Amino acid sequence: MNDTITQNLLVFGGVLFCAGLVGFLSRRSLILMFLSLEMMLSGVSVNLITFARHHQNYQGQILAIMVLTIAACEAAIALALVVSLYRRKATLDVKAWDDLSETIVPKVSESPVRFGDAAMEFPILTPAGLDPLERPVPSDFEANESGTADKVSTRTHEVSSHA
Amino acid sequence: MDYQFTDPTWQLGMITPIVLGALSYLFLQHGVLAKSKQLIAAGVISFCGAIVFAIGFAPSTMESVMLMCFCSIATVGGISFLVAREPVYAALGFATAVLSTCGIMFMQSALFLAAATMIVYAGATIIIFLFVLMFAQQTQLRTYDVQLTHPVVAAAIGAVLLITITMCVTGEKGIKLASPDASRPYSGAVLPEELRSSAANDFLKNQPIESILVPGTTAGLGRSLYTDYLIAVELAGAVLLVATIGAIALAQRPAENLS
Repeated sequence: MNDTITQNLLVFGGVLFCAGLVGFLSRRSLILMFLSLEMMLSGVSVNLITFARHHQNYQGQILAIMVLTIAACEAAIALALVVSLYRRKATLDVKAWDDLSETIVPKVSESPVRFGDAAMEFPILTPAGLDPLERPVPSDFEANESGTADKVSTRTHEVSSHA
Repeated sequence: MDYQFTDPTWQLGMITPIVLGALSYLFLQHGVLAKSKQLIAAGVISFCGAIVFAIGFAPSTMESVMLMCFCSIATVGGISFLVAREPVYAALGFATAVLSTCGIMFMQSALFLAAATMIVYAGATIIIFLFVLMFAQQTQLRTYDVQLTHPVVAAAIGAVLLITITMCVTGEKGIKLASPDASRPYSGAVLPEELRSSAANDFLKNQPIESILVPGTTAGLGRSLYTDYLIAVELAGAVLLVATIGAIALAQRPAENLS
């Protein structure tokens, strides 16, 4: 077994572990956090198998089997927890359960979602009606039944809200 | 290809791919968030640069080329798992990473583990995760899918940890990789000669000694598992049973109020 291949695979196991760690730290959905944990465990399995091949024995593979078993247990219990948490608050957000944490942790205010605001396009509406800057609504204006603004009543009407 | 720890070339080859990978993660996730093609292109370019840098410092035998291909595919799956906004796509990226990991396990002669990982992770876990996703997910994206908590800090922590791991593995003060010691028996399944020839071990007696001594066969793995690690196997079975009971008890609907 080449030592360089062993080292490369150990580093690759570290890459998987760190990808899972970054996902676990940055994700907010409960399910994706548990998937990140599974990715960290698979990085550990790669490490163990590399050492098993390097030492030419089965101990690393057997430890990897144990890791696989515990990962399966963890996935089952985590999903049951997610389902029961979802029944309570109908959300997968971790921050919905912030009130379980310590009270001295300052609350971070939620910034608004900026998803796709660079490509956001508003519909262009055809301008209709009167321009209120050019022709302000006369004080004796009254709309008819269908809502069209063509009938101007001759009698004086107490419309105060259009002033 | 033995670089020393103080060698600037070695440090360049070690640190540059990691920093490029962290940058590509940040670029990609901001680009996907803002739907900006320039940021996504910058992320892809820096990721390809990281891969090229890492492969440039790797050996080039046939086996290592195959291993590098699997590692690259797995890393692409991991990055797409990190940057995907739809949870289903993230799960697919995770499945890609795990399947390529199974390929690596095959090449490291861990055949049973490759099959078991494929069945357990990529089969059962992904299917159950997708099931829960479809149970809990509405059609449009939620705030908690789109927003991340401090991605820059997370990427910095990951990069520092990865640099530390690389230093520990490949540095000159790191782990010394010893050559395998063939003289020491690794397993209780390898019996001394007088025990092997006794009538109580018919199965072992009929096996050729090479099939026990040479690791890499699934039969040897099973024999080692059920002789050296019997208590661990029993404990794993107990843990599985407890987890099954706990999962059933947790996922039950709360009982209706009986009047």
